[in-house]
Amino acid sequence: MINIYKINNEKFKSIYFSVNFTISANEKEISENAVLASVLSKSCKKFKTQKDIEKYLYSLYGAEFEVNVEKYGDLYNVEFAIEGINKKFLPKNIDIIPDCLYFLNEIIYNQNITDNTFEANIVEREKEYILDKIRTKKDDKLRYSVLKMEELMCKNEPFGMYLYGNEDIVKDITAKELYKSYLKLLNNSCITVIVSGNLLGYENIEEIIKDIFRDKINSKVSYTNLLTNIDKSMDSKEIEEVFEEGDTTQSVLSLGLRVNNVAKEDFYALSLYNAILGSTPSSKLFQNFREKESLAYTVRSRYYRFKYIFVIYAGIEKENYSKAKDVIKKQIDDIKEKKVTNEEFNAAKESIIADLKEWDDSKVALSKMLLSNLLTYHYDGVTIDEMIEKMKKVTLEDVVNVANKIVLEKIFLLGGAANE
Amino acid sequence: MNKIEVSNCKELEEQTYKTILKNGLEVYICKKKGFKKKIGMFGTKYGSVINEFVDITRNKRIKVPDGIAHFLEHKLFEQEGANALDLFSKIGVSSNAYTTFDHTVYFFETMDKFNEGIELLIKLVKTPYFTDENVQKEQGIIAQEIKMYDDDPNFAVYFNALRAMYNTNPVRIDIAGTVESISHITKEYLYTCYNTFYSPQNMFIVVVGDVDVDLTINLIEKNIKLYEKDYDKNNKIDKIETFSQEEIKDIAKKEIEQKMDIYMPQLCIGYKLNIVTESEIVKRSLVCDIISDLYFSKITPFFEKEYEKGILSDVPTFGYEGTATFAHAILFASSTNIDKLKFDLCEYLEEIKQQDIDTEMFELIKKKKIGELIRRADNLNISYRRIIESSLNSFDIYEDVKILKDLNKEDIKQFLNLLDVSKQVISIIREK
Repeated sequence: MINIYKINNEKFKSIYFSVNFTISANEKEISENAVLASVLSKSCKKFKTQKDIEKYLYSLYGAEFEVNVEKYGDLYNVEFAIEGINKKFLPKNIDIIPDCLYFLNEIIYNQNITDNTFEANIVEREKEYILDKIRTKKDDKLRYSVLKMEELMCKNEPFGMYLYGNEDIVKDITAKELYKSYLKLLNNSCITVIVSGNLLGYENIEEIIKDIFRDKINSKVSYTNLLTNIDKSMDSKEIEEVFEEGDTTQSVLSLGLRVNNVAKEDFYALSLYNAILGSTPSSKLFQNFREKESLAYTVRSRYYRFKYIFVIYAGIEKENYSKAKDVIKKQIDDIKEKKVTNEEFNAAKESIIADLKEWDDSKVALSKMLLSNLLTYHYDGVTIDEMIEKMKKVTLEDVVNVANKIVLEKIFLLGGAANE
Repeated sequence: MNKIEVSNCKELEEQTYKTILKNGLEVYICKKKGFKKKIGMFGTKYGSVINEFVDITRNKRIKVPDGIAHFLEHKLFEQEGANALDLFSKIGVSSNAYTTFDHTVYFFETMDKFNEGIELLIKLVKTPYFTDENVQKEQGIIAQEIKMYDDDPNFAVYFNALRAMYNTNPVRIDIAGTVESISHITKEYLYTCYNTFYSPQNMFIVVVGDVDVDLTINLIEKNIKLYEKDYDKNNKIDKIETFSQEEIKDIAKKEIEQKMDIYMPQLCIGYKLNIVTESEIVKRSLVCDIISDLYFSKITPFFEKEYEKGILSDVPTFGYEGTATFAHAILFASSTNIDKLKFDLCEYLEEIKQQDIDTEMFELIKKKKIGELIRRADNLNISYRRIIESSLNSFDIYEDVKILKDLNKEDIKQFLNLLDVSKQVISIIREK
């Protein structure tokens, strides 16, 4: 099946093309695909070097090209994306859009391959590039704490693994093996093409895409074969506390929460729960942890749609560790006990609805949301308006109901040694 | 009726309207057809580098604690115990505020609560509410903000470079101040700064989005009037007098190093430059952008060589920063082989001054830059940044588009020759 989706809006000046290869992957495959994505983005048969690629993109009025890796729950996605300007806005109405698509086709399907292998020196260099990504993950302490909590909450699940894979696995990848991964990615992925932007003058864009890519983008894997949550986690009875040393002035505290017995439609109540707990300035964490107790500047909660988990994180003073934990636990308990004011509830709802509406102003966000919904619901009919309507209907009872399915499982404290 | 000026940008198919209200407040509206999001901003031309001035209420020269402009930003976005972010959030509007070296901005973003947003924004900025208690509470929050930046290597490498370049200019002090300096901030100091720098003729309002121009100006005027009793009388314009210590031409320190708990070392090479007039500031920014592409981007043989050797992984960036009191250009880069990178970059920066500029490359970069301008018009945040720059430096709103078209190789050459080794500083953050 050829999956091409169009999102047209004439307020934009450019068009974003996104070709997605989605797979179920283990740690080895994640590591291989991270390196592969990097290799594919740096060279192909027509444009041998990074410099050649970049020069060509400059000549297309700075078309923006990227090969991204991302996780949708336990699924791994390699995205080939290019954004080019609609001819209407270019000098003499020059049309670069077909060139953008031909370019993407060269990158994905016409690689620099001889004797069933990539060039060894390119692979070695990109391995280093990915190794640096893995090794620098601790340089941003707040971000690292969130990653670490994802890992603690999803042990042995693809989602708990680092986006760029494992250091030891990456080191051992060979150019020959990588070629096998490449064939696997092309042949065993679920392929989705999304076109998002100003399509005025490109009414036949679907035909142009089919002409260029032919049946190569025919997806042999359907959305129903993909599982966004394999959930191997064990119910833990006790809260586990993990500490990690670090020579920093600030400590970062993070907490991992899990929703048990979740239903698909709980998504709306859980998003609202997250807004009430800690994703907006009206939330309990912002109001009480930051404003009332002055415990932090940064405090937030994040909901993971595909994994049914929450991560709370805050930059704190190490000596406040125990008080900080208590204040956070109190906020979690308060929602369970329905101690949520009308004001808190309405503010949370307003803010989520506003966020949903805002997606409409970004070509990239629209494209990502469509893919997210395809992977969740297996069809493309879920619109922003529909999501807003469902969100509006959520009651406080629904939120309290899901709140009581939520259990605190892990606590992680990082660093703070420089302040002792 | 207020007189409205229109700036039209053909390339971006975009118009920006400007008017000056009776009280001296500048209002800008950038029309973005079809977009749902609307942004409202209220700003003052007052930032962290002003720490000595004439207190307008007492007509007396005073010095205030470092970090006060940023502290004021936190405190002003609050009303009788309620945080502004929360007040906005309650009506479904997201908001924030930020302080830079030379301006402070309060803003909100909304889809369909624009009028309510403007009303609340103006109310908040026009009604300061400082108490001993809420000042003390904020000291705890801002202390954590300062410590968060202390642990951020990108921030550290940058501010260390500024400290190496400047001897006395307050640009060398963190925008948020230090935990020590903010402990001296009192509600009296906050009122003094507020009364001096938050007068209408020192401020601007910027709106970006698909709004009706006349209705929006009326809405703003109506709300401003609520808080200014003598709005209709012809206000005398108070001249704000600020003082900055004379900064000598020489740098403070050639090299500065710090160790942090990180894996990837960071490098900044900075050049202290002569201060230029307002229109030159935009041009220098664009010239530095082009230099970034011409000498350090992925299309350059330099990057290609350093990448192959494993010295560079990410592209170095070169940029200009300047106001009426300071001017410098800074190159940012990172490498696991930081000493080799430093050596190569220093050598290369001298080499490029001697090289001829390849015409084909130069034109290719201009082509990309024009495309970038058009593409970035899809992002509403770019529009407001352009307007704020234009208000701070009083030049035409779309001046950057015009200057870019006219830039030539000579402009690049001239700027490169300003990069003097004796005014060069090197800041490094190493792993512990």
